[in-house]
Amino acid sequence: MTAARVSAWLAVPARWYLGVLFVGAAWHKIAVPHAFAVDVATYDILPLSLVNLTAITLPWIEVAAGLMLLAGVRTRAAALLVAGMMLVFIGALAIALGRGLDMSCGCFASQGAGEDPISWLTVMRDLGWLALSMLVLVGDRGQVGIDRWLERRRQRA
Amino acid sequence: MVQRTLVEAALVAAVSAGVALAVNTLRPNGLPLLARTPYEVLVPCPEPGGEVTPVAPDDPAVGSSHTFRIDARTPAEALAGPRLPGAVHVPFDWLDPIPDARLAELARAIAASRATRVVVYGDGGHPDSGEHLGREISGRGIKNVSFVRGGAPALQREESR
Repeated sequence: MTAARVSAWLAVPARWYLGVLFVGAAWHKIAVPHAFAVDVATYDILPLSLVNLTAITLPWIEVAAGLMLLAGVRTRAAALLVAGMMLVFIGALAIALGRGLDMSCGCFASQGAGEDPISWLTVMRDLGWLALSMLVLVGDRGQVGIDRWLERRRQRA
Repeated sequence: MVQRTLVEAALVAAVSAGVALAVNTLRPNGLPLLARTPYEVLVPCPEPGGEVTPVAPDDPAVGSSHTFRIDARTPAEALAGPRLPGAVHVPFDWLDPIPDARLAELARAIAASRATRVVVYGDGGHPDSGEHLGREISGRGIKNVSFVRGGAPALQREESR
């Protein structure tokens, strides 16, 4: 089995893991947009005029990317979106940690800093997820999923 | 291939953002697109926190004659509960650091007592005012600071045994 085939098959569970992760992460943010807006504002990076816009749109992009990864639809585009979001999250976390902010990550359900405080471990975790998204972006060949099914149907027709 | 992936990603982001804005407009608890008033963000300011070691309420160091004891509870809590003999009352304020003059006074009192260790006890809550006061004074130059795990309630339980 060639390296490309190995990475292509490794990309499948990575894709599903990231898909579940991103859909799960977005669920609470969409259900309680105000809480997520407070989380975004807490980072104190974006101007006030962009806080709500980010809080409204970002979770839906997470859901779309997550569902595409799960279903095997345009997986590379979805992985690119996930990688881009991970880079933004890592940057925001690093800035917050550099400022010494004792705050919640806001990555999943909104929690107090006491329950889910940010740390360099959070950054390491996000770097791991970034690596997984890069694996999908580079290695995925669409082995399993709707795109592959549609392609087979086209070939048969 | 790269260009196609970039275009598809941009399209997905744009369509998702469009759906998000549409849903936000229709839902009853949608956010205004532009926040008009700043969010009330409660993030503790970075404090110069130092090293503190926890000690059990029955640790001999707590009652030792070589220990300088500090009660970090609020005045009301300190009045309501027992205080360790000789403990100096320095109520911990979650918002304001100890004024420099008060800290200097405390440092002089510790030096004059010839104590080799400082033990702070607070309300024993989560977070514990004793631990936080300990971190604050340790971060501002007072050495060998410990806090009583469980704070005053743990000390009281230990005393009533």
